[in-house]
Amino acid sequence: MPEPSIAESSYAPCITACPVHTDTRELAELVTQGEYEKALELLLEANPFSSVCGRICHHPCEENCRRAKVDAPVGLMKLKRFIIEATRDYRISLMEKMLPLPNRKEKVAVIGSGPSGLTAAYDLAKMGFQVVVFERSKTPGGLLGNAIPRYRLPYAVVKEDIDNILSIGVELITEKTIGRDYTIDDLIKQGFRSVLLATGLSESSTLNIPGIDSKGIFLALPFLKTVLSSRPPVMGKRVVVIGGGNVAIDVARSARRLGAEKVNMVCLESRDEMPAWKWEVEEAREEAISIMNSWGPKAVFSENDEVKGLELKKCVSVFDPNGRFNPQFDDSDTATVLADNVIIAIGQRGDLTCVRGSNVKINPGDTLECDPKTLSTSTKGIFTCGELLTGPASSVEAVRDGHRAAKAIAHYLETGDLLMQPLIELPALEELPDETAEKIKKLTPITIELLPAETRLKEFTEIERGFTEKEALEEARRCLACTTGALADEEKCAACLTCVRICPFDVATVEKTAVMPEEKCQACGLCAAECPAAAIALKRFGTNQMKEQLQGLLASIKDKMVTRPLIISYCCLFEVTSRKFISEKSESYKKSGIYRIMIPCIARLSVPDILSPFELGADGLTIIGCSEGSCLYPTAEERLLRRIRQAKSVLEEVGVEGERIDYWKTEGSAEVSWTSFWEISRRKLHQIKRIGSKHP
Amino acid sequence: MIVAERKPLNEIKSFVENYKKILIVGCGTCATVCLAGGETEVKVVASGLRIGFLKEDKEIEILEDCATRQCEPEFVTEIVERVKKEEVEAVLSLGCGVGVNFMADKLETIPVFPGVNTEFFGAAVEPGVWVEMCAGCGNCILHLTGGICPIARCSKSILNGPCGGSKDGKCEISPDVDCGWNLIVERMKKMGTLQRLEEILPPRDWSTSHHGGPRRVIREEIVSLSQEGKEPTETKEAAKEKESGR
Repeated sequence: MPEPSIAESSYAPCITACPVHTDTRELAELVTQGEYEKALELLLEANPFSSVCGRICHHPCEENCRRAKVDAPVGLMKLKRFIIEATRDYRISLMEKMLPLPNRKEKVAVIGSGPSGLTAAYDLAKMGFQVVVFERSKTPGGLLGNAIPRYRLPYAVVKEDIDNILSIGVELITEKTIGRDYTIDDLIKQGFRSVLLATGLSESSTLNIPGIDSKGIFLALPFLKTVLSSRPPVMGKRVVVIGGGNVAIDVARSARRLGAEKVNMVCLESRDEMPAWKWEVEEAREEAISIMNSWGPKAVFSENDEVKGLELKKCVSVFDPNGRFNPQFDDSDTATVLADNVIIAIGQRGDLTCVRGSNVKINPGDTLECDPKTLSTSTKGIFTCGELLTGPASSVEAVRDGHRAAKAIAHYLETGDLLMQPLIELPALEELPDETAEKIKKLTPITIELLPAETRLKEFTEIERGFTEKEALEEARRCLACTTGALADEEKCAACLTCVRICPFDVATVEKTAVMPEEKCQACGLCAAECPAAAIALKRFGTNQMKEQLQGLLASIKDKMVTRPLIISYCCLFEVTSRKFISEKSESYKKSGIYRIMIPCIARLSVPDILSPFELGADGLTIIGCSEGSCLYPTAEERLLRRIRQAKSVLEEVGVEGERIDYWKTEGSAEVSWTSFWEISRRKLHQIKRIGSKHP
Repeated sequence: MIVAERKPLNEIKSFVENYKKILIVGCGTCATVCLAGGETEVKVVASGLRIGFLKEDKEIEILEDCATRQCEPEFVTEIVERVKKEEVEAVLSLGCGVGVNFMADKLETIPVFPGVNTEFFGAAVEPGVWVEMCAGCGNCILHLTGGICPIARCSKSILNGPCGGSKDGKCEISPDVDCGWNLIVERMKKMGTLQRLEEILPPRDWSTSHHGGPRRVIREEIVSLSQEGKEPTETKEAAKEKESGR
């Protein structure tokens, strides 16, 4: 599994919660910088199923987002979707850039083309192994391609990920069923040095109750597969879905779209115990699906062998004191529910015909014998991953185990040994303390309205759109940038208490030297800008990077004819609503003498930062901050204004006009107002002589 | 803490404008804490000078450094070595006067200019405001005056005050200046020790102050230790020199 790009003592909880440790915090930052391509690279490094996960992930990143304590979590999943949608062409070129891959002769067979199998195939192919993926269906993707309804996950999205994986040379053979068309031994004979079983939990479990063989009763997975086909099943008016998990919800919502007027879900669990994601349950309710909690099926009643309804018994408890599934019923408390169709969605199991005829062992409970740390089955060289290994799991967990399987197989092929890979839990940054949360500015999250329920039910088109660029930039700004805060250099710190006195979040303290506890620091950078010992740096905000950018800019024009007056403009990155403005227009502005440096919060500018453009040869400096009232940090603007005054007085002391520094607040957006600010600064500077003649 | 204040840049500029290569040295202790001469202020001064020289088309190389304390030989040696190695023509110290003196002593022929005005020994009474509280007179009488120093905080440094210029708790020199003796009286009143002021303090011996000439403090135990430590090294080196050819 790829580790986050930075080694930290603690990580943002969005990163630690993600099964593949996607560096979501960095992603949000890259989005604000308009660096969508870099963000994509980071995403794909962690997860080749990023298109899929941008749609249907259960997003533990958001569930663990520390911003939840302030207002609401950052919409990280939709930011990922935005990155994917904004970089489609780049993604294709990125895959091309990966070629040629190292060439290793060992062949690996992957059985099953779900997210786990294909992730493993992708990783192994990147390492140079010859990978062939066998898939029993016509459509690759496992449940993503053959079960999840399109209103949640359009196939084009799945295809995008799969096409990328296949584009680097993974071979896919479809409509070949292991155990029927070929066996593991056949593969070994064909020269495959290792086999990865990633067939998932592909079979729906059924119920053993009277009347279950009546007509009109479906099993969830075959039902969903037919829904995706060109001949979807015809539904009666009343449909009962048995089950309370995510598959049951998919089934129920699909049934509604196929014309069922009344859909009842019957599940053993109470509302709180239901395994389905709460947002899925909510969306199902919006689509007029009723949920009968704490009921279990007792018998099917039918007429002429056609299902007519279900007799139910009260479920008094689902789990035993040890938390194991062990439902208890009150047979005296019964109910009936009418149904023209019943769909059973009570869980899935693996199809172990894949190991038939081989010496791979099966556990008594009809599961594969395998070691969760090495991912090895009982037979050397035969590995497993995905739900066959873990039991029911999410797509992103499947991807995680795909990565692990690839590592396990590569290690095995290189050394002949098994690799111990216990699941890594990264240390997470502590919870945001209440007293800090209170001081953080609330920012309304960007929410995307789903299509209205009545529209949704007409067809299977996707019910939710992604962020526009403007929305993505606005939402990314809400990231608290956890773990990127201030760090004081003990050697330099003079314990002067300046940081303590100016910190707007009451974070900084001085013990022997300054300390900014990471779980509290909001990375506003005011202390770093004001520290007289230059002892404080923000862990992620590159002050030096900014200076290098400035020096690079000015050095690049040193020998050229430059438009005068030459204006450096420090601009608040957060006010831009399209990166087009950041990058594409940049060149034309340069021609007119405006050189922009985008900064995530200009309140971080120190007095030397404000002066340095002049010593490097600029005629003027135009600082553009965020619009009135939109600054994230209390006192930041006031502090900056004081620093600007100080810088102006330094200029005056050496005989240079302080009015060469302008400060503006954005009006509307960058696109709307900045050009006119530059124009005003330029006109004024025309009246002022150049600072020196020797420098450009 | 020693409190200092940066000199105006045009004054600083006039000190160094005739050199080709200068080094600005900050001080990481008092001068940093009073925001007059720490590493950030070094950057500000360097930047300001560069801009000023750019305006005059003068090419002067400005180097930047910051000593942990400019009043310790170990820290200053590093600076002195840099000055020699990089052929710096003049040094601008943003440390207090002690730093300027100390570096001047060590730098023999290289001029050392003061970048700050050293003001007093004081405390930060609020963020950004420092007030003089000690005059370093070498003979402390704070136990007699309620912990408030009449030498530093009375404009006349009188020992038996207040004088007739005390009005509404302020000194006659300025309504912004507290009368030191008023502070003493008020505090001793609160402590219930006011009657002690009835004792007239006799004229003082000012020889402990600067009137007795430059002062020095010697801690025998440290002095002798470090000297003992040095001698064997020197002897060894001398022995080596002898071996290698004499």
